[in-house]
Amino acid sequence: MKSKLVLLSIVFSLIFTNSIFADQKQLVGADADYGEHLFGECVTCHNSTGLGKGIPKITGMKTNQFITKILAYKSKEKENAVMQMVAERLGEEEINSLALYLSKLK
Amino acid sequence: MTKIKRRTFVGLAAASTTALSMPSIAFGALPRVVVIGGGAGGATAAKYIAKDSKGAIDVTLVEASKRYYTCFFSNLYLGDFRTYGSIGHNYYGLAVNHGVNMVHEWALSVNNAAKKVNLGSGESISYDKLVISPGIDLKFESVNGYSAEAQSKMPHAWKSGTQVQLLKNQVKGMKKGGTFVMVPPPNPYRCPPGPYERVSMIAHQFKKSNPTAKIVILDPKNKFSKQGLFMEGWQKHYPGMIEWINAETHGGIKKINAATMEFETDLDTFKADAASVVPAQRAGRIAMNAGVNKGDWCPIVPASMQAQADENIYVLGDASIAKSMPKSGFSANSQAKVAANHIRGSLTGSKVFTPRFANTCWSLVATNDGIKVGANYKATGEKIDKTSGFISKTGEDSNLRKATYEESIGWYSGITSDMFS
Repeated sequence: MKSKLVLLSIVFSLIFTNSIFADQKQLVGADADYGEHLFGECVTCHNSTGLGKGIPKITGMKTNQFITKILAYKSKEKENAVMQMVAERLGEEEINSLALYLSKLK
Repeated sequence: MTKIKRRTFVGLAAASTTALSMPSIAFGALPRVVVIGGGAGGATAAKYIAKDSKGAIDVTLVEASKRYYTCFFSNLYLGDFRTYGSIGHNYYGLAVNHGVNMVHEWALSVNNAAKKVNLGSGESISYDKLVISPGIDLKFESVNGYSAEAQSKMPHAWKSGTQVQLLKNQVKGMKKGGTFVMVPPPNPYRCPPGPYERVSMIAHQFKKSNPTAKIVILDPKNKFSKQGLFMEGWQKHYPGMIEWINAETHGGIKKINAATMEFETDLDTFKADAASVVPAQRAGRIAMNAGVNKGDWCPIVPASMQAQADENIYVLGDASIAKSMPKSGFSANSQAKVAANHIRGSLTGSKVFTPRFANTCWSLVATNDGIKVGANYKATGEKIDKTSGFISKTGEDSNLRKATYEESIGWYSGITSDMFS
């Protein structure tokens, strides 16, 4: 029984460590201060309290979810002229910095 | 109440490690920024300087009004898509959440050498950096016969507030089957698609309650923003109601008579039952007083929004020559963030990032028929250059137009929250 619990906790810690590692590995060149600065561009439209109708809330978005969406706009796979334009000029450093900053917001 | 809150905020910030590392704070004096004008440029600048400096900069916003009615979305109030109350905002959030010192007075003059702003009360405020974001003044004399006195008969309604309420009242009270004349301003002016969205919203009113009414647009220009999209929308939603006459066709407005409601052109004399005349514009008076203008507008350094004439003054929004950006609330908000970052860097040594500018303008043509135009910009040595952009297409699917309108509602909520809370 005890050994099973130990094994379980090892498995859990491995999964946990891997997911953190995966997130950090993606965030090459991320700088939370730069992310906060860039976020100023987002909140012209995305209400920072998340109350706006017609434009979704982005605060509290998971890192991977945010990156996937931005990349989909960047490749024009996802429709929306404004977001395609916003994503167009975001490089890896910008996207990762924003992702890091967003992940720190509630 | 506000003042106490501000002091509390500054006091707390001064006790923090970051703030104590600032030499000026060690001597007990915070660097001071004064912002003149509480619109999309000024309110945003005041907020971001105060928020990001975390109490290391003393920020004062000078704005005569305690309640600010946005110009953007005032057309939607004309069309009954918004209430008047819903486009009004106060400065409580800036004071309480960010410690901005609110001074509800007129800024009368600027003493550049002494770095002081003189207020209507006779007092003055010192600054290390001054932000001027006064919006526009109207050049009444640009339309022969128009004047400050005539504005109650033919409201310009180009600075929101009671003029917009007056215009709506006149539109709703216009005689059945009457003619409404709209005179848009010549370039450059605040909100390029604004006059044409206004016409759309007035047509929307007439369609409901005065369907045989006509709208004549006597334009001093030969083309206008989102022209193809508006023309298509007018044909679709208000067939036969709107006639746009360009400068080439009418040959120029020679004279208007507010008493008889007549508009004299080479083509004809047009008689109106109600009208809106938007004259040419220039930077708000305080910019002229500060000597940062060149003619009607203020040249700026593209990378920072500093006035070319005075490095301690920043000019934002409509008052600035920020070409290729249009004069819009979105542009002013974007420019304010660039200036705020630059001001904070120069006063506290914080990092100054590469400036990024953007703009999007949404317009409403009819119920659930929204259109938009937008662009990214970057600073070059000479100007704020457009790097990419988009515009809605004619013939778009109605679901997309509805989504665009809903997006504009989200944007309004976003930008006003960004400015005021």
